[in-house]
This record gives sequence, C-alpha cells and structure tokens, in this order.
Amino acid sequence: MGKVKLAGIFALAGATLAMAGAAHAEGTITVASFGGTYQEAETKAFFDPVAKELGITIKQDTTNGLDDVRLQVTGNAVKWDIAEMGADECARGTKEGLFEKLDYNVIKSDGINPQLVKDDWVGISYTSVVLIYRTDVFKDGNGPKSWQDFWDVKKFPGRRALGAFPTESLMVAALADGVPMDKFYPLDIDRAVKSLEKIKPNIDVWWSSGAQALQLVKDGEVDMASIWNGRATTLKTEGAPVAFSYDNGVFTADCMVIPKGSKNKDLAMKALARFVSPDLQANLPMLGANGPVNEKAFDTGKIPADKLPSINSSPENMKHEVLLDPVFWGEHQVEASEKFDNLIQE
Amino acid sequence: MTAVVTDPGKRVDDDSGELNVAVLKRNARNEVWGLLGLCSPSLFLVGLIIILPVGWLFWLSLYDENGMLSFVNYERFVEQSSYVKTFVTTFEVSFGVTAICILLGYPLAYMLSQIPRRAASICMILVILPFWTSVLVRTYAWLVILQRKGLVNDWLIDLGIINQPLALVNNFTGVLIGMTHIMLPFLVLPLYASMKSISADYQRAGMNLGAGPVATFWQIFFPLSLPGLAAGVVITFVLCLGFFVTPALMGGGKVIMWAMRMQQTTSLYANWGAGSALGVLLLAVTFGLLGFFNWLLRGQIKAAWGGK
Amino acid sequence: MSVVLSAPPISIRKIVKRFGSQDVLKDLDLNVAPGEFLTLLGPSGSGKTTLLMILAGFVRANSGSIKIGPDEVITMPPHKRNIGMVFQNYALFPHMNVFNNIAFPLKQRRVDKATIARQVEQALHQVQLDGYADRRVDQLSGGQRQRVALARAIVFEPRIVLMDEPLSALDKSLREHMQIELRSLHRRLGMTTVYVTHDQREAITMSDRIAVMNNGCIEQLDKPEILYSTPKTQFVAGFIGESNFTPVDCRDGVAWYEGRQIETRSQVPHAGQHWLVSRPEKVRVADGVNGDRGNFFTGSVREIVYQGDSFICYATLRDGQVMALRDYCRSDVLSRLPAAGEPIHLRIDAEDAAIVQAES
Repeated sequence: MGKVKLAGIFALAGATLAMAGAAHAEGTITVASFGGTYQEAETKAFFDPVAKELGITIKQDTTNGLDDVRLQVTGNAVKWDIAEMGADECARGTKEGLFEKLDYNVIKSDGINPQLVKDDWVGISYTSVVLIYRTDVFKDGNGPKSWQDFWDVKKFPGRRALGAFPTESLMVAALADGVPMDKFYPLDIDRAVKSLEKIKPNIDVWWSSGAQALQLVKDGEVDMASIWNGRATTLKTEGAPVAFSYDNGVFTADCMVIPKGSKNKDLAMKALARFVSPDLQANLPMLGANGPVNEKAFDTGKIPADKLPSINSSPENMKHEVLLDPVFWGEHQVEASEKFDNLIQE
Repeated sequence: MTAVVTDPGKRVDDDSGELNVAVLKRNARNEVWGLLGLCSPSLFLVGLIIILPVGWLFWLSLYDENGMLSFVNYERFVEQSSYVKTFVTTFEVSFGVTAICILLGYPLAYMLSQIPRRAASICMILVILPFWTSVLVRTYAWLVILQRKGLVNDWLIDLGIINQPLALVNNFTGVLIGMTHIMLPFLVLPLYASMKSISADYQRAGMNLGAGPVATFWQIFFPLSLPGLAAGVVITFVLCLGFFVTPALMGGGKVIMWAMRMQQTTSLYANWGAGSALGVLLLAVTFGLLGFFNWLLRGQIKAAWGGK
Repeated sequence: MSVVLSAPPISIRKIVKRFGSQDVLKDLDLNVAPGEFLTLLGPSGSGKTTLLMILAGFVRANSGSIKIGPDEVITMPPHKRNIGMVFQNYALFPHMNVFNNIAFPLKQRRVDKATIARQVEQALHQVQLDGYADRRVDQLSGGQRQRVALARAIVFEPRIVLMDEPLSALDKSLREHMQIELRSLHRRLGMTTVYVTHDQREAITMSDRIAVMNNGCIEQLDKPEILYSTPKTQFVAGFIGESNFTPVDCRDGVAWYEGRQIETRSQVPHAGQHWLVSRPEKVRVADGVNGDRGNFFTGSVREIVYQGDSFICYATLRDGQVMALRDYCRSDVLSRLPAAGEPIHLRIDAEDAAIVQAES
C-alpha cells in the first residue's frame, strides 16, 4: 500500500513538472546579445515591445559571439533561441552549419541591405569604426579627418591606437592606402597588410575591447584612435575633448541567428521578424549609437530630421562609409588574421 | 594476570614457531588500503579534472577542423611566424618577471626572516594583501597609475625629473610591472618559509668563525636558502607562462602571450584542436624546461652545497 | 696543533643586559684566569647563555666591559673576536662536508690551501676523526658531529673557546666519555674555556672553577670541591648535589640546634634562623648522641630505600625535619642500621656542616 501511494505521488509530481515545463516553453524565448548599453537599447527598442505584442516572455543573456554559439550547438546544449554576433561571424557560422534556416515568409527583409539577408542569418543593427581624436591636442578642428591623415605621422604627430581586430583594421588600412570605397571588394589583403605595416611602428596600443579604446582616449593615453561609434558617442556625451565623424568610416553590421537546435524556433522566428521590422528598428537610434539595419526605419517618421547626421546608418552617412562585407571576410578571416598576427608580432 | 607457562620442550603452536602471521600480514595490508582509500577522492579528482582533460586536449590537437587526423594544428607553429614570436615573448616575459621577483623578493624575504615574528607577520599581511583584490582590478589600477597622464608620470614631471612622459604601460615594461606585482607573493612565501627554517645558529657560527656579515650571507645563508628560492622560482615561472589578463591589458596589444593566443586560435580556427595544440606545446616545453631547471639547480645547489 | 702559548684572561665588568623590562644580567662581574676551564652553571633563565652570547658577540649588552687580555672586545663585531665556539646543536653547515666545515674559519683568514689541508687534518686527529674529511654532515652520528664542531672551534687556534651545553644532545654514556675527552683536550691545548651547562655533575667533573648563576647574578664562584662542601647560599646548596636543610638558630656567630651548639667551619650569621646544610653521604649513623666531636641528631627511621650499591635512609628528626643519610650497602653499615620506625642517631662532622643564610 505504501509503495502504491508513493508511486502515485511521484507520478503526480512528474505530471505537474511536465505541464509546468510545457507552459514555460510555450511563451518564452531567450535572446543573447552583447550586453551593456547596447543591449539596454535593444531591450527598449525590440525586446520589451515584442514581448508585450506576442504575449511572451523574453529572457536575456549575454554572449561573446560566434564562439559561444558554437560551444552550445556542438555541445548539444542550446539554451538560446536568438543570438547576436558580428556579420562576419555569421558568415563563418553558416559554413559550419551552426544556425537554423530563417523563414523569409515570416521575416520581411525589405529595406535591409541584401548583403545582410542570408539563408540563416539577418542583420539587426549597424556599428561604425570611426576615427576619433582629442581636440585638446589638435585644436581648432585641425585634427586628422581621414585614415590618410591618421597614417600621416609627420603632419599629425601623436600617439595612436588601432583595434586588434584584423578585419576592421585591415579595412581602415586599405582606406588609408587609397582603395576606393566603390571598388573596395574583392579587397587585396596583401595591399592592406602593407599599408598597416607602414603605420605599425607608430601604433602605441592595439586595443582589444571597446572599454579599453574608450579609456585610452579618455585618459589621453593616445591622441587619436580607431573606435566604435558607440564608444565615441559616449565619450562625447561625457564631455571628453574629442571629435569624430562618419566620413571615411568602416561600417559593420551585427546580425541575429537562431542557433541550430533551438527549442522555440517558431516563436523565435516571429520575434526576430518583429525585431527587424521598420517601426521597431526606428526605435534603436533614439536609444543608442547603433543605427537601424532596415533603411525603411527612416520612412516611419519616428526619427526626426535633426537626428540624422548622428546616426551612422542614415542614408547620408552611409555614402561615406564602406561596409564590412560579411561574406568576403567570412571567407578570408583566417588568412587575414594570420597575416595580421604575423605583422603585429613581427 | 594469567601467565601462560610453556614447557620449553613442548610446542604450543603448530605454526612452526611463528604466531599470528596471517592476521598481522592482513592488518598491514588493510592499513595500506585504508591510506589508499583516504586519498582516493583526491586521486579521483586529479584524474578527473587534470589527467583526463589534458589527455583529451592532446587527443583533440591531432584533429583538424574537419575532424580528420592531421598535424595541421602543429604545422601552424612553423608556418606562421607569429607563433614563434608569441612563444619567445611568453618566455621573455616569464624570465623577466621571475628575475625581477627574485631581485625584489629575495631581500624582502630575507628582511622578513630576520625581524621579530610579530613585525614579520604584519609585513607578511602587507605582502599578501594584493591577493585579496582581483587581478583585473589590480591591473586596471596599474594602468591608471602608469599611463602617460598617470600618477607616476605626473609626479616625475612635476618634480622636474623628466620632461617627456615615460612609456610605462601598454608595452613590455607595463607587462613586467603588472605581472611582478601579482607574482611577487608567490616567490616570497615559499622563500620566507624556507629562510625562517634556517637556524640563526648557522649565521652565528659563520660570524664566530671569522666570516664578516657579507661573507656569512653569501657562504652560509644564501646556499641554505637556495632550495626555497628554487621552489619560489618554479612556481612563479610556471604561473607566468599561463598569464592572460595582465599582459592582455597592460601590453597594449603588442605583448602577446601564449594563453592569449590559445583563446584567439581556438576562436579563429573554429576548432578545439587548434587551441589544444598550443596547450600541448606549452605543457611539453614547460615540462622540458622544468626538467632542465631541476637539473641545473640541483647542480648549482650541489655546487653551493659543498664538494671540495 | 700547537698549544696556545699565551692563553689570555677574560675580565668581565659590570655587564647589564635587559630584554624589555626584564633584567637578564645585573651588573655582572667575572674574571676567568688564563687557560682556565670555567663553567657557568645555573638553571634555565639564570642568564648563563646570555652571558655566553655576549662574550661571543651575538647579543649586545646594555653596558659593561669585556676584556680579553688587554683588549676591550665588547664593542667588536663577533667575526673579529677570534673566539672559538661550540654550539648546543653544533651548527655544522649542512651544505658543506666535514673538511669544508673545519676549513671554514681558516678560509676566512685567507690561509693558504696547503696549510688548511694540514691544519684540518690535525684538528680531525685531535678529535679522533681521522679519515672523515669527505663525509657529509648528515652521515655523521651525534658524537661525531660533536667532534667536528669541536675541531672547527679549535682549528684556528682561538685564544678563547666558548661551549654552549655542547654535550646535552648526547646520550649518557657518550656524554660521560666526551666529558673526559674535552677535559684532556683542554689540558693539551690550554685555551681559556668558558663552558655553559645546567648539569651540575658535568660541571663538577670538568671545571677548574664553577660560577653558579641565578637570576642574572653569580651566586658563588669556586672550585668544584669547595662549592660542594661549602655552599655559600641556600640556592647553591640546593642546586648542587643532594642536601639536607636543617633549620638552626644563630646568635652572636654561633648556631644552635635543640640547645646544642653546631660545630662548623662556616661563617655563621649573627642572628636569625638559618640553615644547616649537610650532604646525605656525609651523615653517619651514631651509637648515641654523645661523642667527642661532631654534631648529633636524634630521630626515627621513616623509610629506607635500597639502590643496589647504596641505600638512602630518611630519618624524621624530633622537630619533624627529615634528614637523609646515604651509605654503601656494606655489612658493617647495614648491621648498625635500625629498622623502619625505630629510633636512630645521626652524626655530622664539623667539616661537613655548612651554615647558609636563609633566603629572604
């Protein structure tokens, strides 16, 4: 009798758990992004409105990008339903088959650069690599305006920092060497490496995180640097004596993927469709430094005209920036990294 | 008391005079098993978290990204000049930091071993104090202190000692400073312990026999402290080899150490094997070097420890 | 090795040493004669080791003077004092073999190699360790280490040798053997020697003179036999050998016990109750309480303890005091010994009766 009773309790408990689990799974997805102020902006722009709209819970996590997703997928421990990463990482992840196919009947890709609309990933926002300089060192607007200026150590003496990221820094080096924006791809990587070699002796720091780049400029450890526009905007807002513009910029996209094996694939698809829709995309530039990936966002009327010059993906700014082509760099990542490392460590 | 009176002519036990042999033998064996049982949890853990993963690491390093058996992960070390350079840098930094730690730590440990125990305990707390702060925090603190417009440069310029700020951080010097700060206790602690165990009578005897303070130090105290120094040096050096945070933050991207390359390589080649190969190589070279140190130090200590 | 021709005297004057608020040595004076074997004897904490450390220069005195011959040494660093020392735990350098340990003081004095080799060999010979030069220190037995330490302390022919309880780590039979060896080595080499021990038997066996120390002062400095037969203080009497303490009344330089005048060679204090000190082996069984000379005591046998070759008889005197008597187990003695509980008469000769002042 005792045994029977006990078994009954277990069965009941098991059923309850299963039901709770089902209910839980039905209305919840987990999204992983890069954290910090950027993810806060995403929360307000995308996650909160979509959660309300679809009546679901969106849980959040932070990620370092492709490596984390690879770890989950290859380890059969996928806990994210949507993950964000750099577009070039997406291109590499595609080759490794780490993502679920996206359903473009659900996701409307109109207004998104076709270079950022692929079978299993889609762009979500734009980040720029810009040239920043300290106005207390270069007074009256006489600072370096282009990457050619940055490379000109005689005309613009001072301490310099570049990112320790092969793709971004090689693109910057190519621009400095005069590679035209409209004929940028396919890029001659060796030419970019040669250009980088010229400036290498004058680079004091190769920064490896956004916070580090910010600190270097803020503390005056360097006088000019390449920096992500989000950090540049923060510096400016904090009142640091700095100047930067989107002229002559390098332009990269973040994208979102559904990791292969996601348990809430369909719901994730619906959420992702809303994330990239023009009306929610238009929220993004009002909340942070990252520009909307969907250019139709500028037609929604949500973005005031005077805000446009400070948005890196505004139609006007976009003309002066070259996109980090995810497919090209996805394919040449290893080559570029090896050459870059060999150069830096020479 | 019940005395067993045995007639010496008669044998009480059939065991040809040997009593309780089996039981005593079993007791001895049980004792061994008992000891083994006591340390088996730690042995199991060591096997589980050290030997197994390291073996797995080695195994992984023999596969390329397509899962084919190959040496491609090792060939890279030869093909890409950056790996050689990283390797050299790693050992340069480790040797440099260890050397500075010896120069700073030896006198410190000596001082601590000679002053009264109470004062030594207080000083010891100061030595260990940095352990209570995270490496990251300490490293950032050094950045603030050493950078171009940091405290040190400001003071030196204000005092008129220098005109141009010194490059103290975001380079090799910065890495040395930051790592020395973190590693110093690892050298001082074993050294202090071994110095403390050197009886004061040895130094008294040295002086009594006509050796001045300097001669007493070099001929008596120093050789006796060598085993402790060797222990500290090995700990410091090996820990240096695997350093990540400090060189990453204070090297300005120019001082790239092996651990940083492991992370970067694993990510770049989308393949555990690529990073594993770095681990295997470092492990092998470290073992080789430790063997060499051991051989060298034993020779040194032996030389300092007598023979005619 | 040549005999030290002119072993110097040591003259210690008014040494004061304080550790914090504690006075370890209080205005201590001591003269050591040239070539003398002098022992500092005392319980732990009496200051004997501190005094030795000050002599060697390892501990700095607060004030005072130490002269070796005509030279003031208290201001000299230890390595310039040229004093040989044997440490309690020998302090042989573990990283050197026997040869290098003994050669160490010679090397410090820049002696040439050939001379070093010869002198080390001689020193090893002196301590009967020929052929041990290449041994490692940890390969030696306790006694052998002791000898190496001794060889190292004398190899550079110091004018003075200090020894800090050098035999305390040895077992009894080896210790007794080494006592004799040390003594004969001293006789051969003739260096002025200051020896520290807490073992009164060792002190008596070896010393020319003994300084008994207590509480940072020297209580008595005398030859061993005088120290034993005529202790000057209660402490000395109690510390050296076994003693019976019998209370006596002193009046006008005469000591009285139960109305009898005590015959003694000691100086008797003028007034007050003090102690008659007697050694058990000097107490004898008497036939009665009357005799032509000596001091007589009456009591009853409380207990007789047989110790093989000898026995101790504890007698309770009439006033309750216990007096012990020790003698050999000879039939003539035993035949006169009453059984336990029976009355007994005891006699102490005047030469064996010392009067010491009671400690306040």
